[in-house]
Amino acid sequence: MLSRYTKLYYLFCKQNLKVMLEYRMDFLLGVLSVMLQQFAGIFFVKIVFDHIHALNGWTFYEILFIYGIAATGRSIHHIFFDNLWTLGWQYIRPGKFDRLLIRPINPLFHFIADRLQQDGFGQLFIGIIVIGTAMPHLGISWGILEFFILVVMIIASGFIFVAINLFFATLSFWMVDSLPIVWTIFNLSDFARYPLTIYHKGIRHFLTWIVPYGFTAFYPAAYFIKGSGFERLALLTPVVAIFSCIIAYWFWNRGLKAFTSTGS
Amino acid sequence: MIVVKNLEKHYKIAKRDPGLRGAIKSLFHRKFETKKAVKKINMHIKAGEMVGYIGANGAGKSTTIKMLTGILTPTSGEVKVNGIIPYENRQQNASHIGAVFGQRTQLFWDIPVRESYELLKHIYEIPQAQYEETLKEFVDVLHLEPLLGIPVRQLSLGQKMRCELAAAFLHRPKVVYLDEPTIGLDVAVKVRIRAFIKQMNARYGTTVLLTTHDMQDIEEICQRIIIIDDGSVIYDGSIQDIKSQFGDKRVIHFELEDAADSFVLPETISEVTEVLPRSDEDPHLVSLSFSNKNISGAEVIHTMMNHYSVADLTIADAKIETIVEEIYGRGMKKEVQHEEIH
Ligand SMILES: Nc1ncnc2c1ncn2[C@@H]1O[C@H](COP(=O)(O)OP(=O)(O)O)[C@@H](O)[C@H]1O
Ligand SMILES: [Mg+2]
Repeated sequence: MLSRYTKLYYLFCKQNLKVMLEYRMDFLLGVLSVMLQQFAGIFFVKIVFDHIHALNGWTFYEILFIYGIAATGRSIHHIFFDNLWTLGWQYIRPGKFDRLLIRPINPLFHFIADRLQQDGFGQLFIGIIVIGTAMPHLGISWGILEFFILVVMIIASGFIFVAINLFFATLSFWMVDSLPIVWTIFNLSDFARYPLTIYHKGIRHFLTWIVPYGFTAFYPAAYFIKGSGFERLALLTPVVAIFSCIIAYWFWNRGLKAFTSTGS
Repeated sequence: MIVVKNLEKHYKIAKRDPGLRGAIKSLFHRKFETKKAVKKINMHIKAGEMVGYIGANGAGKSTTIKMLTGILTPTSGEVKVNGIIPYENRQQNASHIGAVFGQRTQLFWDIPVRESYELLKHIYEIPQAQYEETLKEFVDVLHLEPLLGIPVRQLSLGQKMRCELAAAFLHRPKVVYLDEPTIGLDVAVKVRIRAFIKQMNARYGTTVLLTTHDMQDIEEICQRIIIIDDGSVIYDGSIQDIKSQFGDKRVIHFELEDAADSFVLPETISEVTEVLPRSDEDPHLVSLSFSNKNISGAEVIHTMMNHYSVADLTIADAKIETIVEEIYGRGMKKEVQHEEIH
């Protein structure tokens, strides 16, 4: 079962990569434009820190590190799960979703595997560079264990992005297209690229327990930042990721059920 | 193979008053209108049968097919395909069925046709040897060779539909649903597609349920037709039966010089002819149906010419089109009478 899906995913990927290579120019431009966007964000942080030494107690490299984790986690979502954006307008409205329902495989799998988004590689690339730049300045020594935890945290961060987008994209089964909602919620993740301590308590709680974007960057980063005070909460990141995915998948199945009873 | 009992599908349509006010009002309490798209239909289709499922636009054909494929859950009633309840075991059902939905592609848009088939091979877990054999056969019958290397998005409608059909039959499904597979195609492609469907049925015993507006498709492919009108089955039987039952039926379409609103049947022929329901599209058109046992076409024409100024006329003979038109006409008429009674 699992090996069947792994193989299928590999085959879908191979096809998607072929298409990507066919449009080489698109590929390059997409990657470059995303990289440029990321640079702009980092540049902004840099300018701020040219004037102040610390932001609410956080140093430049700490902020950079948080930023890097956000970018890398986001890139997982961006590369592999980008199709979530298109559920309403490209699948349900034009009737293309029906196609997924008459295939002998899981429709969510099919839907996700239908697309690989090249632009995300730009984000991944930048994220890794930024993390690499910030790492030596955090005052901890990096051993195998730390690296392992870092990778787990980044994957968990990616899946939290996925779960949140899946949850809100699923609303498309009931409404014309939930894209505006998905966008609005997604933009909240920008808040999580900065230390949550700079925000009002209400916002902090919201981004921790309601829409857990805090766990996509700030908390996992704080695990590696000495004296951040969030080391324990940070360990919850993988749990939050798993939990969010379960809720989102449950909700997706509800949406699917609604779809098959209304047919639109 | 396909067993359907008292199957119903009601759509809920959100109703709202026009304008901004209506939009705002609908935010608070929504009113729903129920559209009964399929009403208590029954059918029993045996393995290897090829059945034409016909009816006017909006009659409920696609809705029925969606319930048979498992895409839609019925409001009530039973469906079993090959012993499986499609909407409960959608994935299990999916491995035994194939489908073509009009102009919507089942293939992968950006990748060449051959690669699409390769993916389908894995999705349906088709053994390699069987896959190669099947593909070779399809390529021959549907002349796919020159298309295999082209991405689907670059194919013409006719080319796409040929590829689409091959995809639907690739895993040798027990049942194939074809929802308007020939719509918009030229005659040459239609001929090829019909030949392919017949060959699949002959060789693999595939059960086929076909909806189309092209009666030529029906006459060439199907032994049996089911006619649905406004959600209800109004005829289910062999084409032979319907022909002998209605074979003496004729319909003549008269294009009058004047608008036909005030048209009344001339008294001399009113006993033996019927006026078919008029379309809104052509206010000058009057269609009369009659049996040539009772009155000859010449006499009908003669009488009409005497009473009205006729600009043009067409005689439709006992082709299946005419018969179907006649049956629709009756279905609709029944409803009109209903309303008058209430
Ligand atoms: N998703 C839907 N929501 C509401 N009404 C629908 C939906 N799909 C179809 N209908 C309505 O149901 C009726 C039957 O439609 P359909 O099954 O598509 O007919 P056909 O395929 O015979 O043309 C039509 O009146 C159509 O407007
Ligand atoms: Mg239809």
